Amino acid sequence: MAEFNAAVYQNEFLPDGGTDVNAIVTITCQGAGTAGQSGAGSAGEIIIVDTSGSMGPATMAAAKEGAQAALAEIVDGTYFAVIAGADRAMLAYPPVSKGPGMVQMDARARHEASSAIDRFVGSGGTAISTWLDLAGQLFASVSAVTQRHVLLLTDGENRERPGRLDEAINRATGYFQADCRGAGTDWQVAEIRRIAQALLGTVDIIPSPAEMKAQFQEIMRNAMARGVADASLRVWTPQGAEVLFVRQVSPTVEDLTNRRTPVNPLTGDYPTGAWSDESRDYHVAVRVPAKAIGQEQLAARVQLALGADVVTQGLVKATWSNNSELTTRIDQQVAHYTGQAELAQVIQEGLAAKAAGDEATATTKLGRAVQLAAETGNDEATSKLRKVVDVDNEETGTVRLKRAVEKADEMALDTASTKTTRIRKEPTT
Amino acid sequence: MNCPSCNAMPAPGARFCENCGAQLGDPAAVPAPVATVPGDHPLGDAPISAPTRKPAAALPDPPTPAGRRPCAECGGEVGPDLYCLECGTKAPSERDHFQEQPASWVAGVCDKAIRKNRNEDAMALLAGAEPGSRAVLIVMDGVSNSIDSDVASLAGARAAREVLRMPLPAGMGTPQSRDAAVRKVLTDAVAAANTAIVAVTDPDSPNPASATFTAAVLEGRRITWANIGDSRSYWLPDAGTPVQLTVDDSVAQAQIAAGVAREVAETGPQAHAITKWLGRDSEDQKPTVGSLEVAESGWLLACSDGLWNYASEPDALAAQVRAADTLDPAALAVALVAFANGAGGHDNITAALARVDVTGLGQNDQTPTPGGEPSDG
Repeated sequence: MAEFNAAVYQNEFLPDGGTDVNAIVTITCQGAGTAGQSGAGSAGEIIIVDTSGSMGPATMAAAKEGAQAALAEIVDGTYFAVIAGADRAMLAYPPVSKGPGMVQMDARARHEASSAIDRFVGSGGTAISTWLDLAGQLFASVSAVTQRHVLLLTDGENRERPGRLDEAINRATGYFQADCRGAGTDWQVAEIRRIAQALLGTVDIIPSPAEMKAQFQEIMRNAMARGVADASLRVWTPQGAEVLFVRQVSPTVEDLTNRRTPVNPLTGDYPTGAWSDESRDYHVAVRVPAKAIGQEQLAARVQLALGADVVTQGLVKATWSNNSELTTRIDQQVAHYTGQAELAQVIQEGLAAKAAGDEATATTKLGRAVQLAAETGNDEATSKLRKVVDVDNEETGTVRLKRAVEKADEMALDTASTKTTRIRKEPTT
Repeated sequence: MNCPSCNAMPAPGARFCENCGAQLGDPAAVPAPVATVPGDHPLGDAPISAPTRKPAAALPDPPTPAGRRPCAECGGEVGPDLYCLECGTKAPSERDHFQEQPASWVAGVCDKAIRKNRNEDAMALLAGAEPGSRAVLIVMDGVSNSIDSDVASLAGARAAREVLRMPLPAGMGTPQSRDAAVRKVLTDAVAAANTAIVAVTDPDSPNPASATFTAAVLEGRRITWANIGDSRSYWLPDAGTPVQLTVDDSVAQAQIAAGVAREVAETGPQAHAITKWLGRDSEDQKPTVGSLEVAESGWLLACSDGLWNYASEPDALAAQVRAADTLDPAALAVALVAFANGAGGHDNITAALARVDVTGLGQNDQTPTPGGEPSDG
């Protein structure tokens, strides 16, 4: 039985007239078990491999090997299917044309699915909306499946009329999760990130075919470790308060503010998807009406809910004080993650400006990114930034854009922009 | 079994010897007398009339409220995490805010006040069910610069309540004798409070807990009070002239006695310095005692300085009582505390009230002894 804990990091003291309360809430899950084994329903896994004509022989061979390695990670008894994606989506396994489109994993199914993957041939274009829609239909065809996860690999840009992909993403949102990977450098980070963020998954680049297998294995292993099917971050705020934002800030920055589903007039749910044994940090910012000096009140109850059950709760408080030593302190977790969220933003904006030819903006934004990465100790961001810019002064954020940049390095910086680092925690009392 | 004293043979079942009067039977079956340590015990060895008072006259403790009170701010439900489910206001702990209502006509509120971090005031009440019969209002104010004075004041108030559970003694029949007996009981109540404070004080504490003490006892139409420090009792009649019953043991009071105007003295830098208190470093635990016969309907109020800071003059307090416009003691106590919080709430606030309604009292309830003057000497 999974156990959840919540810890709150904040400076609860507000100055006279102060209204904005910021807190980092860390939620930790232990004893999650294995996907589909909790008794609450079965897990379903769908592997989608891009089989468009753009897949070169080496990439295709690696993709096949990766998909087969992923099959090996799927626990027996899990419902699964394999989709070959091109202009349209083909159900490669199980070989059915009607009825349930997924079968339970066992040695024979694994072997047959591997053989089906072996027969993949690259041809045609890329219509990702059809891939997502077929995945949704397959999940829907097996009512026992309640935890739905997709592993999606593409190597190219989506070739559909504008809006189609977004419509498909909307249909899938809240129904299944998707971890997305791009092979090579011909795909669009922003496009695939849109899918992954909406579907509560990860996005990354697989620059060389050699890394394909390990990535697929890891994604599927992580998916199978998510024994808690679906959880919501439930945020209560008092009458008259306003939620400024709710964002996941670790392991990656994901803004959840606009994904609120009302529970009652004071409470809303934000999706968090499935959980393994892991710890995630959320930054919650609430604006409350100011009270008199000395008053204390609750600014938010931040809970994790499994369906209707609240499994853990953190209390975000506000206490008005005229002691400026107390009120001017910024909680180090809040400061750290505020910096990390800005880091993600300036990297993405900087790269977008660079792609649009706006070198001045790109230089400013990426300079700020270098500065923030150094300040917040995000070494991964620092090393990826240094492949794109020459750093004159880290402290002031003075940089120059490199003249020759590997496309893959730029994309790796982009996909990694939302990854955050943690700092040591000392609970506030 | 023969008589252990004269060896005569008693009648079967007899509890005393017919021959010599000695007690018979198993000595263990006889309740042992309460152990007393001469000199050390707060009740001492003085011949007070307690043993002659009937246990049936002892007043019961006020009922403890069941469940969590609704949010004081918005009336919403308070969650298991002790914050309001509607407005998020923190529900005060039972020590930070409590109410007692031992009878329909007696109630009190003891509140931390909005500007204080903890509630060092304490209150302990008793009352008979019959309106106007008998009420005990005890208010203590822990001194805020001493350690654990919140624990100490409550322990003190409850210890004093034990002493005042029985009706005040009538003495030998003369007013002088009764005054002496009453003074003795009130002094014992103060001593019990003091003992309780010392008992909860860490012996190594460099800054031992200390507290004020005011007790007002209403029996029929007679109010009797005892005081140490600057908590107060007032008599606030509906129509007549309101009076402050107690006299503060404070620097401000000394200045007033020396001719300084009350508003000046009570707002001066030493306004809240008290000259007598209870606790380990208390030098004088002899209370100022007094009594008053009342002839009209009104309110007996015992309060801490958290209330009277904002309405020191009896007329000012009476005006607040009139403004509240209620005959319900609980509602009035809440209103007075709200008034003090509204006026700043800089110190813990306690207001304990007993309603006196002379139209509801029969002739027989009148205390026979005359005398309207405080009998303090």
